[in-house]
Amino acid sequence: MTEPTPAPSNSPSSTAESSAAAHPPADVHPPADVHPPADERRPGRIALIVRLIGALAAFVVATVIGVYAVGAFGEKPNPELGYSVSGANSFALLLAIAMIAAFAVYALLEYRQTGRLASISSQFDTRTIVLMPIAIAFNIILGQAVGTALKIPIYLDSIGTILVGALAGPIPGALTGFLANLLWTYVVPPPFHSDISGAFAIVAAVIGLLAGTFARLGWLRPRPNRSDAQLAIGGAIAIAIIFVLGYLAYTGYLKVFQGTSLTPASDNPVFLALAWAGLALIVLTVAGLLWLLFRGRDLTVTYVVVAGVITGIVAAAISAPISANVFGGVTGAGTDFLVAAFRQGGADIQAATLGQGLISDPIDKVTTFFVVYLILKAMARRTKARFPQGERLVEPPPAMEPASATIEPASGATA
Amino acid sequence: MLELESVTYRYAGATEPAVHDVTIRLAASEVVGLCGPSESGKTTLCLIASGLAPRAIRGTLAGRLLVDGADVAGRPMHELVSRAGICFQDPTTQLSGVNATVYEEVAFGPMNLGLPRSDVVARTEQALETLRIGDLAMRDPSRLSGGQLQLVAIAGLLAMRAAHLILDEPTAELDPAGTRLVGDAIEELAAAGTSILIAEQRTDLLARICQRVLILRGGRVAFEGPADEVLADPRLEELGGAPPSAVRLRREAIAAGIDVGAVDRAIAAGATA
Amino acid sequence: MAVGAENSARLGFQGPAGQTWYQRLNPLTKLVFATVTAVGAVLLGGVVGPLLLVLLAVILPAVVAHVLGRLVRTSLLVSLPIGLSALIVNVFFFPGGRDVLLQVGPIAATREGLEFATQILARIAAISGAITLFYLTTRPSDLVLDLERRGISGRAAFVANASVQTVPRMVELAAGNVAAQRARGLDTEGGLLARVGGVVPIVGPVILGSIADVEERTMSLEARGFTRPGRRTLLWAPADSAPERVARWLLILALLAIVAARATGVIG
Repeated sequence: MTEPTPAPSNSPSSTAESSAAAHPPADVHPPADVHPPADERRPGRIALIVRLIGALAAFVVATVIGVYAVGAFGEKPNPELGYSVSGANSFALLLAIAMIAAFAVYALLEYRQTGRLASISSQFDTRTIVLMPIAIAFNIILGQAVGTALKIPIYLDSIGTILVGALAGPIPGALTGFLANLLWTYVVPPPFHSDISGAFAIVAAVIGLLAGTFARLGWLRPRPNRSDAQLAIGGAIAIAIIFVLGYLAYTGYLKVFQGTSLTPASDNPVFLALAWAGLALIVLTVAGLLWLLFRGRDLTVTYVVVAGVITGIVAAAISAPISANVFGGVTGAGTDFLVAAFRQGGADIQAATLGQGLISDPIDKVTTFFVVYLILKAMARRTKARFPQGERLVEPPPAMEPASATIEPASGATA
Repeated sequence: MLELESVTYRYAGATEPAVHDVTIRLAASEVVGLCGPSESGKTTLCLIASGLAPRAIRGTLAGRLLVDGADVAGRPMHELVSRAGICFQDPTTQLSGVNATVYEEVAFGPMNLGLPRSDVVARTEQALETLRIGDLAMRDPSRLSGGQLQLVAIAGLLAMRAAHLILDEPTAELDPAGTRLVGDAIEELAAAGTSILIAEQRTDLLARICQRVLILRGGRVAFEGPADEVLADPRLEELGGAPPSAVRLRREAIAAGIDVGAVDRAIAAGATA
Repeated sequence: MAVGAENSARLGFQGPAGQTWYQRLNPLTKLVFATVTAVGAVLLGGVVGPLLLVLLAVILPAVVAHVLGRLVRTSLLVSLPIGLSALIVNVFFFPGGRDVLLQVGPIAATREGLEFATQILARIAAISGAITLFYLTTRPSDLVLDLERRGISGRAAFVANASVQTVPRMVELAAGNVAAQRARGLDTEGGLLARVGGVVPIVGPVILGSIADVEERTMSLEARGFTRPGRRTLLWAPADSAPERVARWLLILALLAIVAARATGVIG
């Protein structure tokens, strides 16, 4: 019999200092960054250097251990059983794990030094905290619908991750992806449950990290009405990439998809609808990208495509060894056909999963980045600007508030 | 005592201030009403009074917010929640979304404040009892009606022992049954001596509970005064407000030549909307 | 109105009646158990190891906890697609397989492929079973509360709890939209273009509406003291006991032992 455990009681704080400081009034021209800079409460340079060294040491140690362990596994006498881990293929995964270890050590040191985690928590204001569960739900719902009802090799389970990365920053984005995958496996009940996602939590974290970084660099800022010359260059790059991806997809799928239906099949109406949404997304992405480029004269299209491709390649590199070693290359999704095709061609599991990833992931991520870009464009400037990284997602301020077809926040703030 | 002293507020990114040079004083046990058409600044004033503007909402605040005589500019939001608690129009977005029962939902505020557990339990049960929603305590909040949700929200504010309640059009999104439920509860709180600042377009509720009413237009105070005077003032209609049914009834009676005294007695006996 | 016995139960102060001691274990214990089983199955390799784990670490506890029927049904349902996939892909497309069992046109089922496939299937059974057992015997909010008591921040706990609650809520919204659109004559059986066009009224409002809600929800949370730094008071948290602590450490040690065994070649 369990007994109710008395919870630790705390006396109410009465001092005026806090980490969630009142925001100083903002100016309109130009909009000031109202969020206090992360290093406002830096205890001292030495402490910071200690933390950085600790993190670097953790990174190196983790990498070395990983390489050694991988090497140890590789000494198995029977590589055809699929347990041989070719070091190069798993290196991306090792690096990702080492990076997480480094972050963890940094956070631990910071906590020991200052009793709180200021550099991380500054990216997590209440608005971000409220957005994250919604984004996680997007990931799970759309990802599950596409994964079960659609048999083409895309995932569409990172929309929430990339959205949070763009609006709030790299760390919230990483945490959103990480948590989403963990919750997807451990906590969410069927029909939304997925056994395999937990193993890929690290991939999702890196995706969030990348998305947040790209947004921080201003890649997702709309760039309308560019000159013909800029559009020509940007357009050429974007179209070339799209063409390459399309060609890869075509040759890859051609082998496998004779006789297989591309249309979604499921008896859950919501899944069905969402799966059609996924199919529609891919078709519309290419069309939409080109439309934005030529009609909207929006140069950000190129950045979106490039961001998607980079993220896709990194994601493929990290998830391939996980898929190969843990699940033998198959995850129950539409991607398995591709793996089969590669195996038929004589590749071992490692190469097969990497090949499949390199075909599926860039397309998936380009589509996802595009959708996130559309969502961001649909949000009102005011709404975006209140998020920690919102200022990097809007065009430089015009003189007047543009009154176009944007989505206003529901009631409240304008009465 | 809650005071807004000559406040002017401009939202970030806006060119015009939403409210201009408004002064409101809310003493203990006082009930003050804010009335006016949409976009007249009612919600903005509620946000300022609770401290959310400019802390949670970006913008520039000129003028002062004084709580018990002290200027609270620069104080963080969590220190103000026990001074003034605010209830919004939309019942569903006020739910925390993480509490499985009404009990925990009401206890959410005190839990966040880090009070000792016995205090949390005592305050929660007291709040539930005051609003007489003890029978809802074990229900799932996501399954309640709009009116019930608003009561849960107000209970949450009472549990934080907010000295002043700020209600921003609490019945605006409710059906008639919910409106009655919440209106009655607010009336009881007012009668029990709670200090309330309520923004409403439905002047009937204001007529029942307010001692003073401010009429707003375009972000400024058009006129103010004792409730029964202001709500019977013809200027109210000029500004687009609808006077309370009692006032309309009285005017119709006068116009029709009916004995006003009889009408007054009927109204006093409780025959309001 | 004091929190009576029955209401204490519903508030989670005690577990619901009729539950076995397995459900009443601390959530972290059950989590460690499930993770060690899943990771252990991967590390052990072969067929015997994972199947043994399935027997001892999935079926046995499920019987104790009276959830065997549900576990089998749920786990099978969930792992069916990946299991089928693993079977087909590995039996027919295993490179280097020489011992042909069945020839279907240009592709052949090989014995090596079958062996490998059974290994993967055993592993999937263990992983799926362990995780399903966990979620059938543990309430998500209990797990989050326990973690919060141990020290994760209240905001992280909030995100975890809110995510779990938001998924069904959003699906309800989407389902409502699907039904509404069907009532308005949405073509769910038509051609590609028709279906594509019908998707937007279903998905669009849910996504944009949820994002629009963020503003109000943020204000409500801040108005209830959410931004206060430091720990918040918990009304209740799941109990923990010394034996369970020991058990958790033993499980982790067992996992490390398996890692060492693999690394040094003791286990094939």
